[in-house]
Amino acid sequence: VAGIELPHNHWPELIGSLLSNIHQLPSHVKQATLETLGYLCEEVSSDVVDQDHVNKILTAVVQGMNSSEANNDVRLAATRALYNALGFAQANFTNDMERDYIMRVVCEATLSAEVKIRQAAFECLVSISSTYYEKLAAYIQDIFNITAKAVKEDEEPVALQAIEFWSSICDEEIDILDEYGADFSADSDVPCFYFIKQALPALVPMLLETLLKQEEDQDQDEGAWNLAMAGGTCLGLVARTVGDDIVPLVMPFIEENITKPDWRQREAATYAFGSILEGPSPDKLTPIVNVALNFMLSALMKDPNNHVKDTTAWTLGRIFEFLHGSTIETPIITQANCQQIITVLLQSMKDVPNVAEKACGALYFLAQGYEDVGSVSSPLTPFFHDIVQALLTVTHREDSGESRLRTAAYETLNEVVRCSTDETAPMVMQLLPVIMMELHQTLEGQKLPSDEREKQAELQGLLCGCLQVLIQKVGSSEQTKYVFMQHADQMMGLFLRVFACRSATVHEEAMLAIGALAYATGPDFAKYMQEFYKYLEMGLQNFEEYQVCAITVGVVGDICRALEEKILPYCDGIMTQLLKDLSSNQLHRSVKPPIFSCFGDIALAIGENFEKYLIYAMPMLQGAAELSAHASGADDELSEYTNLLRNGILEAYSGIFQGFKGSPKTQKLMPYAPHVLQFLDSLYLERDMDDMVTKTAIGVLGDLADTLGSNARHLIQQSVSSKDFLNECLLSDDHLIKESAEWASNAIRIVSG
Amino acid sequence: MAPHDIRRPFKRYAISDQQKRREIALQRQAQQRRDSQHHARCLASSVLSLPNENNPEPIPPEPTTEPEPE
Repeated sequence: VAGIELPHNHWPELIGSLLSNIHQLPSHVKQATLETLGYLCEEVSSDVVDQDHVNKILTAVVQGMNSSEANNDVRLAATRALYNALGFAQANFTNDMERDYIMRVVCEATLSAEVKIRQAAFECLVSISSTYYEKLAAYIQDIFNITAKAVKEDEEPVALQAIEFWSSICDEEIDILDEYGADFSADSDVPCFYFIKQALPALVPMLLETLLKQEEDQDQDEGAWNLAMAGGTCLGLVARTVGDDIVPLVMPFIEENITKPDWRQREAATYAFGSILEGPSPDKLTPIVNVALNFMLSALMKDPNNHVKDTTAWTLGRIFEFLHGSTIETPIITQANCQQIITVLLQSMKDVPNVAEKACGALYFLAQGYEDVGSVSSPLTPFFHDIVQALLTVTHREDSGESRLRTAAYETLNEVVRCSTDETAPMVMQLLPVIMMELHQTLEGQKLPSDEREKQAELQGLLCGCLQVLIQKVGSSEQTKYVFMQHADQMMGLFLRVFACRSATVHEEAMLAIGALAYATGPDFAKYMQEFYKYLEMGLQNFEEYQVCAITVGVVGDICRALEEKILPYCDGIMTQLLKDLSSNQLHRSVKPPIFSCFGDIALAIGENFEKYLIYAMPMLQGAAELSAHASGADDELSEYTNLLRNGILEAYSGIFQGFKGSPKTQKLMPYAPHVLQFLDSLYLERDMDDMVTKTAIGVLGDLADTLGSNARHLIQQSVSSKDFLNECLLSDDHLIKESAEWASNAIRIVSG
Repeated sequence: MAPHDIRRPFKRYAISDQQKRREIALQRQAQQRRDSQHHARCLASSVLSLPNENNPEPIPPEPTTEPEPE
């Protein structure tokens, strides 16, 4: 109730009366009051509670947490309340004395005799680490000692929170260092204190110890989270934070444990190795990997323990992900070892599901590393047939539903196809009817019970995804396209039947595949429209699963380009739905920019026939343009969205102007020209466009001039855009901006005579 | 106020192929939109700048305009 009333100032006396309870006995009233304050802080935004109340809440909470509080229930309620109240304590954390006091009480609570209080106190420390990172310098040494003791000695839920503290510090420092890296001149809001780098010599041994505390069946249990998992994850984050410095600290642990008889030691050593592969430089890691690779391949084949094999396959995947590819100077996969690597991975795909899944993942990155080899030859060519066969065999395993194995196999097949070259095109073409047959079989089944239906839907999604990749590959070259065309009718028939299934993922996958199919078939797609239209409309109406809606909007664009004016009979329905989508508050905002772009696609396809939609579309565009012109971002996320929105609006204008070009109805656009130019001017004057928007904006100036001709001459000449903005763009270093500007300049020159 | 869930992805590869398929589709669509725009502009400029030899109907010239004062 308070969550609703406080923001409207309808219950001003609440906090005061709650606080008055604090000084009362009995303890259960105190406890209930603290719990209520905790819930209140969880629900209510920090800006509706004034600082005076915040101070009083924090005083009450911190008093309740104090070691002098005899009742553990009260102390626990207070500690949990503090967790929720931390977001309110901005002002208090800037005051040294208040902050010292809060930190002391939290640290003391981590030493409580009651495990739940210790856990809650560490949760507070985790929250403080992300909310008040920049205030931690004075306490970090003490916190290290406390967390190290907890990780070593305390019960698991407490130890996990203690590790999470360091993972959270890593998250903060990775973000800060990313920002440093992105722009050296940027004044980052928060400086990096390099806590991880400083703690490294003590932190790494502490984390390595945890790796030896695996649970017996952790790889089979999807929900498992234990000390070894948390420690390894944290080690991976530490490696990303400090880079090369971690390597010498971890190597002795790996060397000491990797050959031990106890599986826990071998697994821990392998997990440590796999965890540090992202972060350090390839220069540092490549020599080590070159030595380790053979050992890993042999362990994957011969180690008697499944955990060790699982982690080994995962580590191989990480090696290929981070140290293999066209950007890496010294290749770790060579002609000499490629065959052996592939043989081992294919063999490992016959292992238990969790190991086989990791082996598929390793193959995914192995293929990905060759994506830039060019169109002719790939080192994978000699093995292509065997790889595809092995992956298909995995998808047919009885137990492929376990450990995401089937998903991993299809996804790897997708990557292998995407990275394939002309040499293997015949085999890729043969794959098309195979996958179609698989999809066909899923549609033939009798009525299934609901859990089976869900699995069936998942499989259909994977098969549609695979077909999408195949369509793109086979449809992209003239040499192979004929095969695709032979199958197009049947494929479309399958996709239409898939829509009968209700899962959102399947709809999205089928829709993406149809977009690819429309692009590849071109004008021939018209024959499918009558049947397909209702699903297109359904997709555009899908507010709840906005990803489906967004994908469908993109597919409308594909169909516009494929059909051109033949899409006209469907445009009333499509435009009605798109306009509804734009007016809806329910629809996720990320779908709105692509809808505007889609207006442009439609207009370009149907030309002057867009006239009847102008009175609906133009006010929407104008409204959005006015909003977006001055919405310079308070934060990065908003300014990114604003730029996407601007781009969508400009693409709409561009499509509309070009669509009307040469038509006698061009005059219908004249009334909108002043606003469009005003929009361009204000974008220029705001000076917060990104390059993409700049390029599209200056292009619109050209489109407007080109379409409206001399009628718009005076308007154009009055605009800032046609002078300063255009001149700046003509001098741009960005090739695309320059090209657009040259187009605009040319069009304006012609208009000006 | 239940304990805060701190589970992180464990031995999971960073890439989601589904996300990759989406992104590739979006890139393709954006590229084709640019190509279509470019094509429309090229058509427009060729109509504007080239004499059309095959067309018996001459393209009406852009209305001549008086030179603008600087």
